[in-house]
Amino acid sequence: MIRSSRSEYLTAAVLMAPFVVIYGLFFVYPTLRMVELSFTNAPLIGPGKWVGLDNYFRLASDHLFSTAIWNTIYFVILSVVPGTILALVIALGVYRLKGWLQSIVLAAFFLPYILPVSVVYRIWGWMFDKDFGVAQYLIAPLNDGQRLSVFRTVPLFMPAVAFITVWWCLGFSLLLFIAGLRNISREIYEAAELDGAGRWIQFRRITWPLIWPVTVLVFTIQLILQLKIFDQVYLFTQGGRIDANMVMVFYILREAFQLNKGGLGAASAVVLFVVIAVLSVLQFQLLRAREGR
Amino acid sequence: MIRKVLFATLASMALTVSAARAEDTIVWWDFLSGGDGVRMKSMLDEFNKEHAGKVKIDATTSEWGTPFYTKVQTAAATGQGPDIMTYHESRMPLGVSEGVLSPLTPEELAAAGIKASDFSPANWKAAQGPDGKQYAVPLDIHSIILYYNKDLLKKAGLLGDDGKPKGLDGVANFDAALAKLTANGVYGLSVPNDGGSGWRIFYTLLNQEGGQFLKDGKFLDGDNLDKATTALAEMQKWTKNKWAPTNTEYPASIALFTSGKAAMHINGVWEVPTMVDLAKKGQLFDWGAIQIPVLYSQPATWADSHSFAIPDRKGNPVSPEKRKLVLDIIHWFNQHSLEWAGGGHIPAYLPVQESAEFKALKPNSDYVSLAKTAVFDPVSIYAGVASPVYDASGNYMIPALNGEIAPADAAKKIRDDLQALTK
Amino acid sequence: MSASVQSADLVAAPATRRLTRLNQIDIVGLLITLGTLIGAIVWAFPLYWGLITTFKHEYEIVRPGVQLWPEHFTFENYVHVLLQTKIGYWYINSLITSGAVTLIVVMMAAGAGYAISQLNFPGRRFFWWMILASFMVPIPALIVTHFIVISQLGLINTLAGVVGPQLIAPVTVIIYKQFFDSVPKDFREAAVIDGANDFQLLFRIYLPMNWGVTTALAIITFIGAWNLFLWPFLAVSSEDKMNITVGITQVHDNFGVSYGRDLAVAMLAALPVALIYLIFQRRVTQAIMLSAGIKG
Repeated sequence: MIRSSRSEYLTAAVLMAPFVVIYGLFFVYPTLRMVELSFTNAPLIGPGKWVGLDNYFRLASDHLFSTAIWNTIYFVILSVVPGTILALVIALGVYRLKGWLQSIVLAAFFLPYILPVSVVYRIWGWMFDKDFGVAQYLIAPLNDGQRLSVFRTVPLFMPAVAFITVWWCLGFSLLLFIAGLRNISREIYEAAELDGAGRWIQFRRITWPLIWPVTVLVFTIQLILQLKIFDQVYLFTQGGRIDANMVMVFYILREAFQLNKGGLGAASAVVLFVVIAVLSVLQFQLLRAREGR
Repeated sequence: MIRKVLFATLASMALTVSAARAEDTIVWWDFLSGGDGVRMKSMLDEFNKEHAGKVKIDATTSEWGTPFYTKVQTAAATGQGPDIMTYHESRMPLGVSEGVLSPLTPEELAAAGIKASDFSPANWKAAQGPDGKQYAVPLDIHSIILYYNKDLLKKAGLLGDDGKPKGLDGVANFDAALAKLTANGVYGLSVPNDGGSGWRIFYTLLNQEGGQFLKDGKFLDGDNLDKATTALAEMQKWTKNKWAPTNTEYPASIALFTSGKAAMHINGVWEVPTMVDLAKKGQLFDWGAIQIPVLYSQPATWADSHSFAIPDRKGNPVSPEKRKLVLDIIHWFNQHSLEWAGGGHIPAYLPVQESAEFKALKPNSDYVSLAKTAVFDPVSIYAGVASPVYDASGNYMIPALNGEIAPADAAKKIRDDLQALTK
Repeated sequence: MSASVQSADLVAAPATRRLTRLNQIDIVGLLITLGTLIGAIVWAFPLYWGLITTFKHEYEIVRPGVQLWPEHFTFENYVHVLLQTKIGYWYINSLITSGAVTLIVVMMAAGAGYAISQLNFPGRRFFWWMILASFMVPIPALIVTHFIVISQLGLINTLAGVVGPQLIAPVTVIIYKQFFDSVPKDFREAAVIDGANDFQLLFRIYLPMNWGVTTALAIITFIGAWNLFLWPFLAVSSEDKMNITVGITQVHDNFGVSYGRDLAVAMLAALPVALIYLIFQRRVTQAIMLSAGIKG
């Protein structure tokens, strides 16, 4: 195996070049630039003055930013926890089915996941429509017979968007759970059944401990994904109470693009960046721990 | 022979090709949807037909308000964007401060035949920046009005012999009228619950009390805060007493009125075509529209103005040839603004505004009086469409209207939020 | 039904006591199956309801009551949308940008994955760590500086500008590297002895051996690019450069708002990804497992 290391370097350089160019341009540079920008008072496009930590102090005292953080956390709790539990429950049900029936049922649960957010927005906007939405037949009886504008009622906004998000994203978690269930050997269940273990005992003693790692995986993936919530909130809040429904990515967009404060927008982006990076490191450690087993 | 025919065909084809080449395309952005959109679309079609082979306007309509103005700003900053766009005069100070507007020189304006004397002085001046340069040319003046259902008002004894409502002036009378009209599942009033509408009504009431929203760089200073509270409290009273429904989306608020489920409706003049068209189809009761009643000490109505402007596309300015075409287009639209007036607006162009045709136009003539006491948004980089003031309305005025926060708290929050921006 | 048969088969032990117990359990099992089926119908209902609405006339759409099938089947909403909006442009733009993203990402990732997996060169570990690091970066946090970069490149409001920031796809590189790692060394050694160079190795052995992975990655990348909203929404301002997810929510047509048309345009936007899923169901599933770190 004698190969000139020079030609190997050359080959590597050619193969790595597109990657290096793209990463330099769209990952490394923007990341560094974002940090730099966060210390200036620059507009979105154009130069600015160095202002030190001013932008960060402004964020700390801006009640809209704290609203954005709280709403983001609130949304994550509302969407990730029920989404994970529901996906597991449905996975247990779907897993019992066989053949074409399983394919159809799985497709029914999975199909929403591959839709563009704009389509989800249109479908649910229509479902919940105050005047003609079919969901009003369920909502009105709970509201003294009055139809309700779900997306214009502040306390209902986040739960409604979280509900739609669960509907939209469940398919992803469902697939992971089903794969996890398939990995559990049938023999374990057979042995348990011979011992006279009932359905619940089997779930508690076998399924749950073995599916637990997948649950953690699903949970962390969804957690990181939903922290980046923007699209649904933006689309559904258009024309409504923008600041009551503010979330972090929306805040970045608002400062940088709508109010033309590039520096402040970058500073809020850095905060989101740090939060997600920390969580991702934790997720990565979990994954490594799993693979190490 | 065949050759001759072939040659002639080729020659004529060549001619049409070169004619097609000579056609200039002007990119146009606006935010006009609903009734306004329909009217503007037909005016654009008319313009394109009239100028076929010479100029073609390629129009895009975006979502009104923040989405539109955000797009304009980011496009201009990166050398993109249209050749001509609609722009609110209320937003002129903010637009100039963002550097998204390109000044129109006196020579350009004169060359296109656009004269300051063809506009009312205040209207013309509102399109200027703090530097005194002209940044836009107004197309209209628009305001909010009170739409009413004649049948329902008559039943409640609130209709005069002239077909106009009577006894609505003064808070006590207005409230009493709403109470009387609210019966049998019919609301006395419907108003759209969006930030823009909230601001328009609030600002009207505040000015009727003689209040000033912004004075010497201070928002709701001194007793203006109390006046703002009074205005918001009155708005909250409407929903609290169930005279008006809560959380009414813009289209729903109109539907409530047109379906006879609300006796009166406060909204912009731009919804006049909605009523006119429905009435034409025989799907609407006998209706009318008047200036907002005077609830407090003096008449006043919020007003704004749609104007035309050229964006300052950084590094890629609109070419002089196109600028010339754009100014001609602006002039054409002003000369044809009688059609635009059919959309409920008052034309900014005085030769049309003072014409006999406009004076005869119904229902415009019933509320045109409001122009004399119209109040425009504060001249400030914090005011105008898609500005912090409009945001504050969506965030505090609408919740106050719906009874979610106390009027005094809302007024204080509005003041504090806006004042914080000036620091 | 079939589930209960299955569980009965599994437990062949013929103890009478257990059999009676099993019968009880089967009722529970049937209930679970029934619940799952009802759940699936509920889950799919919004999709059905959105779709069926597009085939109704507007007066039928706003009529009270739940009409599960149109009284008068119509295509007028689709005809209107296809003729009166720029949906054709948006479709083409979406196809071009998603296609370009898919092609570039797959080629770049295969190359980089191969180099990191099979070659020795200075900086190899550094690049690997960088890829793992970029996995942790929330792309939406970079919108501000992405906009600045694209503007400096003069690519705002161009399709290339839409494509650019979407090319960061660390997961794809990681997956390729892992799959190339697991190709047996014997193949490589034999080919090298035959005088094959690394490009031949990549294109003749490593890629063909992992053809399924490439298909799966290409499909999921395409779906992701087709569905992306935030960046195309920021990068494009003129109507004829928009992709379909942006166009259908940001452009207000001048012909009055209509539920039927709004939904028709949404259904058209969903059509390609729905078809891809229905045709390549297994590949989509595989790709999702791969991206979550579970080898499919």
